[in-house]
Amino acid sequence: MSKYLRESQSKIFANNKAWVASKVAADPTFFKKLASGQQPDYLYIGCSDSRVPANEIMGLDAGEVFVHRNIANVVPNTDLNVMSVIEYAVVHLHVKHIIVCGHYNCGGIAAALSHSDMGLLNPWLRNIRDVYRLHEKELDEVFEKHGEEARGKKLVELNVLEQAKNVIKTAAVQKSWMENRYPVVHGWVFDLKDGLLNDLEIDFEAELQGIKKIYNLEGWMSRKGSVV
Amino acid sequence: MGSQAKDDFEYALKSNESWANYKSHQNPGLFEKLANGQSPKILWIGCSDSRVPETTILGLHPGDVFVHRNVANIISPTDINSQAVIEYAVVHLKVSHIVICGHSACGGCGAALSEARVGGVIDAWIAPLKALRKANAEELDAITDDKKRAIKLAEINVKSGVDALLSTYFIEEAVRERGLKVHGCVYDVACGRMTDLKCGNAGKKGVAGVKGEEEEKKVVKGNHGMLVFGGDGASISIR
Ligand SMILES: [Zn+2]
Ligand SMILES: [Zn+2]
Repeated sequence: MSKYLRESQSKIFANNKAWVASKVAADPTFFKKLASGQQPDYLYIGCSDSRVPANEIMGLDAGEVFVHRNIANVVPNTDLNVMSVIEYAVVHLHVKHIIVCGHYNCGGIAAALSHSDMGLLNPWLRNIRDVYRLHEKELDEVFEKHGEEARGKKLVELNVLEQAKNVIKTAAVQKSWMENRYPVVHGWVFDLKDGLLNDLEIDFEAELQGIKKIYNLEGWMSRKGSVV
Repeated sequence: MGSQAKDDFEYALKSNESWANYKSHQNPGLFEKLANGQSPKILWIGCSDSRVPETTILGLHPGDVFVHRNVANIISPTDINSQAVIEYAVVHLKVSHIVICGHSACGGCGAALSEARVGGVIDAWIAPLKALRKANAEELDAITDDKKRAIKLAEINVKSGVDALLSTYFIEEAVRERGLKVHGCVYDVACGRMTDLKCGNAGKKGVAGVKGEEEEKKVVKGNHGMLVFGGDGASISIR
């Protein structure tokens, strides 16, 4: 092993010890508590992009946010991967908030707006192209008035909105809301230019009502006569 | 919305503001730089578990690690979600390292070791874990401690994920052509440390065939930090 490696290693173990020490100094039971289980309040569904580290941008620590990250924070209804994450977070961890977080300058969104054949990525990007189709008129207008960059930004926002709706459509979220009045679903966009999160201020209860005509999965509750 | 729920939410947004201020104070120009693009060296595939936040435990910065996290860090070749992430990272971003990281006290591993049905869609998702449990029943059943048995399954799962990655055509290609390294490790939530499982192609000689990599084979470098495997565990440094 080179001298350089040995040096960095001793520094590393010192770093690691310092990190553990700072955690223990602030809370002597920090690791003991983490070892006993997790009780995060948040589920974060965001992009895989390296510039958007989930709990870090929220200023939160280990144990506070359950996380799923994929290309362009998409929530396809037939995707077992993200559906398992949502179900685990809602049914088993009882998270209080679900955040769908997009970001400007998203490579996934840009790829969906391009017309290149990206192989394995094609079926995934289709989900984003479908968002375009749902909001075609609005996006085309933005393009005509303000150009390409503005359209890209708008698609980032609309994608967050549609994926948040997909979260609301899940049985786990509808059922938990009926029983507990949580989780609340939010849509955020992270701006790489200043590191700030912008809340798209999705009206969760209105969205829930809006999807009900078609997506209502509360039939099992109707015998109890519950109404939201 | 209850007032407590509202407070939690406001809290997260407030924390973000302090974080953004802190980061730009610590490293002026960071966000302007980030807005220009990303060139992460590492793809991290880990569990969604809140106790294993990759960037925090790696001591790295925004821009360093491309990330996929799912329940029990399962790699299934027909899962288009994770495959899209892996292809994007390997083919388009050309990361140099892939780290699959399992962890102790994993709820997914616990569920796969239990006889009970989880319910909903989760049973279908963890079916590959159940299959691993059956295939390794002898080794697992010999472990009497529940926690240790779950860690063993987490290790087996990571090794299986590493094998699955190394059988993916675009990864085979990247390994051959530019020496991409695949690592497997397990994080201990009870002490905050990682252990290198020394599987994959990272610890083996001559696999990558890239000159000069011999010295570096145990180091996963980020843009501002690195992850070093060796000694009695793996750990992190900031350059
Ligand atoms: Zn993105
Ligand atoms: Zn886990």
